[in-house]
Amino acid sequence: MTPPAATAVDHGHVTVSAPAHAPKGGLGHFLSTYVFSKDHKVIGLQFLFSTLVWFLIGGLLALAVRWQVAWPWSDVPVLGKLFAQEGGQMAPEFYTMLFTMHASVMIFLVIIPILAGAFGNYLIPLMIGADDMAFPTLNMLSYWFMWPAFFFFGASFFVEGGAASGGWTSYPPLSTNTASSPASGWGQTLWLLGLTMVGVSSMLGSVNYMTTIILMRAPGMTMFRLPMTIWGMFITAILQAFALPVLTAAGFMQLADRTLGTGFFSPEGLIVNNAVPGAGGGQPLLWQHLFWFYSHPAVYIMILPAMGMVSDILTTFARKPLFGYRPMVYSVAGIAGLGFIVWGHHMFMSGMNPALGITFMVSTMMIALPSAVKTFNWLGTIWGGRIQFTTSMLFALAFVSMFIIGGLSGIFMAATPVDIFIHDTYFIVAHFHYVLFAGTAMGVWAAIYFWFPKMFGRTMNEFWGKVHFFLTFIFMNGTFFTMHILGAVGFPRRLADAYHYETFHHLQPLNAFMTWCAIGMVASQIIFAANFFWSMFYGPVAGRNPWNANTLEWTAPSPPGHGNFDFQPVVHRGPYEYSVPGCEKDHLMQTDPPNAAAAAAALAAH
Amino acid sequence: MNASAISVPHGHDHGHHDGHGHHGHVTLQYQPGLPLSKGKLIMWLFLSTEIMFFAALLGSYVVLRFGAAVWPKPHHVHLSEPIGAFNTFVLICSSVTIVLALEAARVNKVGLAKTWMLLTLLLGTLFLGIKAYEYQAKFSHGIYPWKPRGLIYERPDLYYGSAVRARLGEPAMIDRLKELDDTPADQLSTDQVAARTRLQQVRKMVASPDQQAFDLAVVADQIMPLPAEGAAHAEGGGDGHGGHGGGLNDVFPWLRLPIVIPGGNMWASTYFLMTGFHAIHVLVGLIVFAILLSYRLDAKRAGMIENAGLYWHFVDLVWIFLFPLLYLF
Amino acid sequence: MRNRLSGIFWGLLFLAVPVLGVATFAVAPAFDHWLPKDVSTHGTQIDSLFYFILALTGIVFVVTEVLLFWFIWKYDAAKNDRPATYIHGSHTLEVVWTIIPAATLLFLAIYQMNAWADVKMRRPDMPPTVEVVARQFEWRLRYPGRDGELGTPDDLHLTNDLHLPIDEDVLIQLKSMDVLHSFFLPNVRIKQDAVPGMKIPVWFKAREAGEFDIVCAELCGWGHYKMKGRVTFEPRAAFDAWLERKYAEQEATQPAPEAGESLAAN
Ligand code: HEA
Ligand code: HEA
Ligand code: CUA
Ligand SMILES: [Cu+2]
Repeated sequence: MTPPAATAVDHGHVTVSAPAHAPKGGLGHFLSTYVFSKDHKVIGLQFLFSTLVWFLIGGLLALAVRWQVAWPWSDVPVLGKLFAQEGGQMAPEFYTMLFTMHASVMIFLVIIPILAGAFGNYLIPLMIGADDMAFPTLNMLSYWFMWPAFFFFGASFFVEGGAASGGWTSYPPLSTNTASSPASGWGQTLWLLGLTMVGVSSMLGSVNYMTTIILMRAPGMTMFRLPMTIWGMFITAILQAFALPVLTAAGFMQLADRTLGTGFFSPEGLIVNNAVPGAGGGQPLLWQHLFWFYSHPAVYIMILPAMGMVSDILTTFARKPLFGYRPMVYSVAGIAGLGFIVWGHHMFMSGMNPALGITFMVSTMMIALPSAVKTFNWLGTIWGGRIQFTTSMLFALAFVSMFIIGGLSGIFMAATPVDIFIHDTYFIVAHFHYVLFAGTAMGVWAAIYFWFPKMFGRTMNEFWGKVHFFLTFIFMNGTFFTMHILGAVGFPRRLADAYHYETFHHLQPLNAFMTWCAIGMVASQIIFAANFFWSMFYGPVAGRNPWNANTLEWTAPSPPGHGNFDFQPVVHRGPYEYSVPGCEKDHLMQTDPPNAAAAAAALAAH
Repeated sequence: MNASAISVPHGHDHGHHDGHGHHGHVTLQYQPGLPLSKGKLIMWLFLSTEIMFFAALLGSYVVLRFGAAVWPKPHHVHLSEPIGAFNTFVLICSSVTIVLALEAARVNKVGLAKTWMLLTLLLGTLFLGIKAYEYQAKFSHGIYPWKPRGLIYERPDLYYGSAVRARLGEPAMIDRLKELDDTPADQLSTDQVAARTRLQQVRKMVASPDQQAFDLAVVADQIMPLPAEGAAHAEGGGDGHGGHGGGLNDVFPWLRLPIVIPGGNMWASTYFLMTGFHAIHVLVGLIVFAILLSYRLDAKRAGMIENAGLYWHFVDLVWIFLFPLLYLF
Repeated sequence: MRNRLSGIFWGLLFLAVPVLGVATFAVAPAFDHWLPKDVSTHGTQIDSLFYFILALTGIVFVVTEVLLFWFIWKYDAAKNDRPATYIHGSHTLEVVWTIIPAATLLFLAIYQMNAWADVKMRRPDMPPTVEVVARQFEWRLRYPGRDGELGTPDDLHLTNDLHLPIDEDVLIQLKSMDVLHSFFLPNVRIKQDAVPGMKIPVWFKAREAGEFDIVCAELCGWGHYKMKGRVTFEPRAAFDAWLERKYAEQEATQPAPEAGESLAAN
C-alpha cells in the first residue's frame, strides 16, 4: 500500500556505497567516480570533507588566537615552533594574520561551503525529487573552483611576509597600501584571489540551485510543499547571486589598487611610514559600503540554510507539523529582502553620515522581526510534541537556544548610541560567535547527525554523539558567553595585547578561563571526528528512513544510487504531516498515496 | 511496487555516472515550474548576477566621480564622442544580427543563420578593434591604468616639476634631445621647428631648481594643453580621437613627458576598469559565437543561439550605460 | 526509565542557559567586570539605553529560554503517552508575535534617536579645541596655540598626551594620516573612526577630572595593540596652565614645526 515506506525496505535491500564493490577498477574510473564526479551526492560529500578539514584548521587558528589573548607574549605550544617566531613567542603581526585567516577560513572555506556546498548539493535534488542538479558539470566546477581558493588561502601562510593581516573585512588603505602593513606583501593579494575563486564557485552553485529548485521538483511538489531546508537553500542562493558579484567587483578594485597602483580606495595625501604612496583620489569608505553590501547578506547566507535544516529536524523529532509553515517561508524571504538594506549597521562609527546611520538603524531593528517570527514558530513547533532526544535533535534545540542569544545581542549593536561604546569590542565578537558558531555550527552538526545515515547508509553512534553535544555545549557557552562581559568593559577586539591599558588590565583571568574552555571545545571534537569516521564503516546499518521522517530523500535508498530514485516520486502533501489523527503511523510521507482518513484529517486542519 | 522491485543490487550505480538513463533507473518527471527551459532560466539568473557585478562597478564610478574634487572632461583624456557613438552603433547592429541569426535558425535556414552569426562575430570584433584603437590612443598619451607607466599628475606641483626634470635627465633622453637640437631646421616641419623652440623653453624652466607653480602650469600646458570648454571641437584634429594636437608630447611622441590632468588618475582607473570588464565580456561572447559557428545552426540549436543572444544583448546593454556615462557627461 | 532521565537531564541543561546567563550578568559588576566609569555628560544617556536594552532583551531571553526548557521538559516523548498535537499554526499567534516585537523595536528605534543625535549630529558651534591626527601608531595632537586658530605656525604639537578642560564643550577635529584608526575613549563613551582624507568632528563634555585611556579601536596594522594614548581631564584653570607650560616647552626646544608636518596636517 505504501510502497517506498520505511518498513518495506528496511531489511537489507539497500545499497551501501562500498568502494570495494566498484565493479571496474582503474584510475580513470576512480577519478571519474570520486574525484571528477558530476553526481551531486559525491560533490556534496567532497564539499563536506573539504570543509571539515578546514573547520579543523580554522579551529586550531582560533586556539592560537585565544592563546595570545589569554597569555600574551608567552611561548605558543605547537604553532610557535611551526612558525619559528622569536623564540616561540607570537609577534603582533602574526596575531593579526591569525585572526584574519581564522575568520576568512571559517567564513569562506567552512560555513558558506558547508551549508550551500555540502548540504545544498546533497539535499536539494533528493528533497525535491530530482535525479541530479540541472547542470551537473557546472556543479562539479563549483566544487573545483574551491581548490584554487583552498590553495591561495593555504599558501598565503608560507609566502614572504605571511598571510593577509587586514582583518577579514580588509579595510583599505591598510589592506591596499603595502607600506602600511609590511607583513602583507603577497598574503593580501592571495587572499583577494582566493575570495574571487570562492565567489565564482558560489555563483556557479547558486544559479544552478535556483534552476534546479524551480524546474526539477517532483510532480505534486509545489513551492509551498517544499521543506524548509529547500526554502533556506533557495533564498540563500538568491542572496548569493545578488550580493556576491558586488564583492567580486570590489575585490577586483582592491586587487587593482594593490597591483596596478590605482587608488580606488586611497584618498589623496596619504603619508604612510613617512612616504607618499602616490595616486589617490579614492574613498576608503567606498570599500566598506561594497564589502558590507555583500557581507551583511552573507551573514544570512551563513544562517538561513541552517535555519531551514533545523526546522526540518525539529519537526521530525517533535513528531509534529511545523508551526506556521507559511510565516516561516515569508520570514526567510523577509530576512533576505531586508538583509540588502541594513549593511550600514557595520559602519555606524566609520565616519559615514550619521543621518544615514539612523535609517540603517531603523532597518536593522526591523530585520529582527522575521527572526522573531522564526524563533516563536520553532517554540510553537516543539510545544505539544513528543520530543525524541536524539543527538541531532539536541543540536537543533541548541541552535534555537543559542540563536536567541546571538540575535538579542544584535539588538544592542543595532541601537546606534550603544554601538558607540560596544563597536569593535568583544561584545561584537560574542554576538557573531553566537550566531555563527553556537548557531550555525550547531545547525550543521544537527544536520550531520541527521543526514549521515542517508549519506553513508549507517547511523552515527548516539551515545558518543551526546557526549560530543554535551561537552561542546558547555565549553562553547563558557568561551563565548563571557565575551559579553568583556564587551561590557569595552575590551577591544583585534588587539594582540590589551592588558597594558589601565581599563582592561584586570581582564586577563577571565580571558584565561575562556581559553581553557576553547581548548576543551576543540578537544571535544576528537570525539566527533572519531565517531564520524568509525560510523562511516562500522555504524549500524540504517534503512531508507531511520528517523521516520516525511521528506522525499527518505524514500530513496541509503545511500541513494546514481539518479537517486528507483521509482517515480509523486508528492501528495506538505513535508510536515506528523501525528496525523486517524492515521496508523505517526508520520505521512510526502509520497504516501492519499488515504481517506489522512486526507480528511489534513483537510480539517487547514 | 514491492520491496524487491525497488531494491538496487550492489554496485549497480558504479561506472555509469555520465550517461543518464542507463541501467533502468527511472527517467524522472517533474512538476511544471516556470515555462522556461533549464538553459534559458540559468542564463537569466546568470545575467542577474552580472547585472549586480556591473551595478557595483557603475555605482563605484558614480561615487568616485562625484566625490572627486575635479573630474576631467572627455576631451582632456582623449575621448572622442564620434568614435564612441560609432562603436555603440556597431554593437547595436550586432544585437540585431544575432536576432536575425536566431530567426533564420528557427526556420532551419542554416546558411543564412551562419551568415548572420558570422556578421555578429565580425561586428563584435570590430567593436573590440575600435576599443583597442581607443586604448592605444590613451596609452600613447601616457594614460595608463597602472602606476609606473602612467604619466598623469594631478596638478603642476613640485612633484610634477621634479618628474619632468627626471624624465628630461634620463641618459637616452639627453642624447635624443641633443639629436633634436642638432637637426637642421629644413629637415623638420614648421610645426616641429616651433615645438622645438617651445621645448627648449620648457627645458630651461624646469632646469632651474626653484620653479614657481605658475611656471610649472605653463610647462604642463606646453607638454599637453587641456582644451578649454567649447574650444575642444574647433581645435581637435591632430590625432583624430578626440584629442588636440600641438602639445609637445603630440609633436614628439618619443618625449613622453609627465602630463597634468586634474582628476586624471582616478578617471583612468575607472575608465579602464569598466571598459576593461566590458571588453572581457565582449571577448567571451565572441568565443561563444565562434564555437556556435562550428555547429549546424538549425532549429535544434535555436536554444543555444537564443542564450548566446541573451548574453549578447546584456553586453550591449551595459555598453549603452557606459557610453553616455563616460563620453557624454 | 533511562529515557525519562535523559529527558530531564537535557531539560535541565537547557535551563542552565538562562540561569547561568542571568547570573553571569548579575555577578560581573561586583567583580568590576562591567561598564567602566563614565565621566561624560552624555554617557548616562548611553548607559541607561544599554541597561534598558539589557532589561528588554533580558526579559525576552529568559522568557524564550524558559519556554524552551518547559517544552523540552513537558513534551518529552518518554514521559507522556499523549499523541503530539496535530496543529499547523495559528494565525492569531503569528499576528501577536509579529506586532508585539514590531512595536517594541520601533519604540526602541525612535527612543534612541535623540541620544545618537546628541553625540553625532548636534555639533556645537565652536572652533576645534584640538586636532587629533591618528598615525601608525600614535595620536598626534595639535592645539591652536595663542591665536586660537589651527593651521598657523604657533600651533602646539604633542603626541599621545591629550589634556582637555572639564565642564565645557570640547570639539575635536579627528583626522588620519595613513590608514583607518578609531578614537575610543571608554570612559567618555566616545568612539569615532579616523579616516584619511576626512575631517570628522567629535564633541563631548567631561564632568570629572582624571586621567584615562585613549584606545585605538580600528585595526591599523601590526602595532594596533599598542596605539595607546592618555587623556587628562582637568578644570579650566589647570588646563590653561598646562597649555602654557607645554607651549613654553615647545618654544624652548623647537622654533617652528617642520615643513613636512604642517603639509601633512593640512
Ligand atoms: C549568521 C550570522 C549573523 C546573524 C544571523 C546576525 C544577525 C544580526 N546582527 Fe550581526 N553580525 C554578524 C553575524 C550575524 N549577525 C557578524 C559576523 C558581525 C561582525 C562582523 C565584523 O565586524 O567582523 C555582525 C555584526 C553586527 C553589527 C555591527 C556591530 C558593530 O560592528 O558595531 C550589528 C549592528 O547592528 C549587527 C546586528 C545584527 C542584528 C540586529 C541581527 C538580527 O538578524 C538578529 C535577529 C534575532 C533576534 C533578535 C533574536 C530572536 C528574536 C526574538 C526572540 C524576538 C524578540 C526580540 C525582541 C523584541 C528584541 N550585527
Ligand atoms: C563561522 C565563523 C567562525 C567560527 C566557527 C569561529 C570559531 C571560533 N572563534 Fe572566531 N571569528 C570569526 C568567525 C568564526 N569564529 C570572525 C568572523 C572573527 C573576526 C575576525 C576579525 O576580526 O577580522 C573571529 C574572531 C575571533 C576572535 C577575536 C580575535 C580578535 O578580535 O582579537 C576570537 C577570540 O577569542 C575567536 C575565537 C574563536 C573560537 C575559540 C572558536 C571556536 O568555536 C572554534 C572551535 C573549532 C572547532 C570546534 C573545530 C571543530 C573541528 C571539527 C568539527 C573538525 C572535525 C574534523 C573532521 C570530522 C574531519 N574568533
Ligand atoms: Cu590605530 Cu588601531
Ligand atoms: Cu550585518
